[in-house]
Amino acid sequence: MSIEEQVIENAKQGKLLTHKCTNCGYLHLSTAYYCLKCGSKGFEDVLLEGSGTVATYTIITVAPAGFEKYTPYAFVVLKLDNSDLRISGFMGGIKTPEDLPVGTKAKITGFDERGILIEKQ
Amino acid sequence: MLSANFVEKVCVLGAGSTKYGKLSESIADITTQASVAAIESAGIEPKEVKASYISNVFGVADKQVHIGPVLMSRLGIPDRPSLTIESACGSGSVSFREAYANIAAGFYDCLIATGVEKVTHTGTEWTTTYFAYCSDFFYEGQAGASFPGLFASMARAYLTEFDATEEDFAKVAVKNHDNGYLNPKAHMQKKISVDDVMKSPVVASPLKLYDCCPFSDGASSVVLCSEKFAKEHGGDYIEVIGSGRGGSPAALQGREHLTTIPSTKIASEQAYKMAGLTPKDIDFAEVHDCFTIAEVVDTEDLGFFEKGQGIQAVREDRTKLNSDISINPSGGLKSKGHPIGATGIGQVVEVYDQLTGKAGERSVKDAKIGLTHNFGATGASCAVHIFQSV
Repeated sequence: MSIEEQVIENAKQGKLLTHKCTNCGYLHLSTAYYCLKCGSKGFEDVLLEGSGTVATYTIITVAPAGFEKYTPYAFVVLKLDNSDLRISGFMGGIKTPEDLPVGTKAKITGFDERGILIEKQ
Repeated sequence: MLSANFVEKVCVLGAGSTKYGKLSESIADITTQASVAAIESAGIEPKEVKASYISNVFGVADKQVHIGPVLMSRLGIPDRPSLTIESACGSGSVSFREAYANIAAGFYDCLIATGVEKVTHTGTEWTTTYFAYCSDFFYEGQAGASFPGLFASMARAYLTEFDATEEDFAKVAVKNHDNGYLNPKAHMQKKISVDDVMKSPVVASPLKLYDCCPFSDGASSVVLCSEKFAKEHGGDYIEVIGSGRGGSPAALQGREHLTTIPSTKIASEQAYKMAGLTPKDIDFAEVHDCFTIAEVVDTEDLGFFEKGQGIQAVREDRTKLNSDISINPSGGLKSKGHPIGATGIGQVVEVYDQLTGKAGERSVKDAKIGLTHNFGATGASCAVHIFQSV
C-alpha cells in the first residue's frame, strides 16, 4: 500500500498514521519522506488516536464540484491531542459558527469521497 | 548574497495590460494584445525581444497550453524561445523572477514576461473546482476545501487570535474598490460600502462574496532589459532593486501559525536585503489580496505592521491611497481582478505606471519605491520584488 492508501485505511478506523523521526524524534504526518527538523529519512510508524480540538474552520456554502449536495459543510483544521500536529478534514452538519466554536473537541471518524471525515465528540 | 555575481542591472522598459474581467477573446488573443501593448510601451520592435516567459495556470480550460510559441509566432519572432511557468496564483511573479534572473545573469538583454488567464467561461462551480487543485489536494481539496474556504480558515483564526471583526475585513474591500474605481482596467470599477460587503452572500464563513476577489480573465505583460539596453533605447524605465522568493508548507495545517504566511516573510526579507531597504522605505505596495484577510496578513508579513496590528491600520485608514503606505493603489486583486496567471505581472505593470507618472487619478504622490508581493495558493509559493524610479 502507498503512504496515502495507508493514511486512508487508518482514517477509516478513526486513527491517524504518523511518522516519528528515528534520529531526532520529531513527529510528522506520514506523507513526510524526510524529517522537517534534521533531514534524515528514517521513520517509525506511530498510530495516533484521531482526536483533538478544532484549531480553525470554515463553513462552505459555495462548493467545488462533487460537494454541492453537502452544503453547508465545514472544512476543519484539527489540532491533535498530545502532539503539535494538525490534520484537515470534512465535517457535515455544520450550519452556523455557533455550531462549531474554535476549541470544540472533535475526532477523525472515517474516509470517503469527502476525504478525511471529522465529527464533533 | 544573491546579487553578488550578477552582471547586469535589470530594468522594466515597458508595460501593458488588457482590461481585466469577463473577456470574449481567446487566451491567445489576449496574451498577444498585452504583449504588443508592453512592446509598444517600451518603444521597441518585437525583433528586440530575445525570449518570453509566460505565466499561466489553466490554459487547458481555453484549449491552449504551450502558449509561448503561439505568442512568438504572432509577434513575428517564431524562432525565439519561450517558457511557460505555473505557480498557481503566484505564477506571474515567479515568471517575472525567472525573466529577471536571466537578464541579471547576462543571458539576454531584452525579454518579455507575459501573464494570462482565461477561465470565467467555465462558470463559478468549475472555476472553484480548478482553483482547489492548487491546494495540497490530498489533505485540503479532497476534503471539500475551496480557496475561499482556506482563506476563511485563516480569517477565523485571525478573528479568534486578535482584536478584529468581520466589519474590519470589509474595510479592506471598500478601500480597494475606492482605488479600483480610479483604474480603467479594473474588473470591478465600482465603489462599495461596508454594508454592501456585510450583506453580500456568504461564500465560506466568515468570508462573504465581497471579501473575495472575482474570477477574472486578462493578460499583462512587461518588457525587462539590461540597464545598457534601456539607456540605448530611451523611453521611461524603472529599475528592479530587490528580488526574493520563498516557500511555505503546502497545507495550512502544517504552518506554525495559521495567521502568518512564511513564504512572504522569506521572500520579502531577501528582497529588502538585496535592495538595502526596510519596510519603512516602501512608498506603496501591490500585495496579494485574493481575500480581505490576505491583505491584512500580507501587510504584517511584509513588515509594514506588527503581527495582529494590520487590522488596526485598516481601521485607521493608514493603508488608503496617499496615507501612511498606499496598499494596492491599482485596486488590488479584489477590485482590479485576479486572472491568476496574469496577476503577478499586472502588479509590475501598476508599479511601472506609478513610477513613470502614468497612473492618472490613482497616482501615489512622490512615489520613488514600489513593492510587489504575489503568492500561489495559500502562500505556499511567493515572490517579492522592489522597484525604484530612475
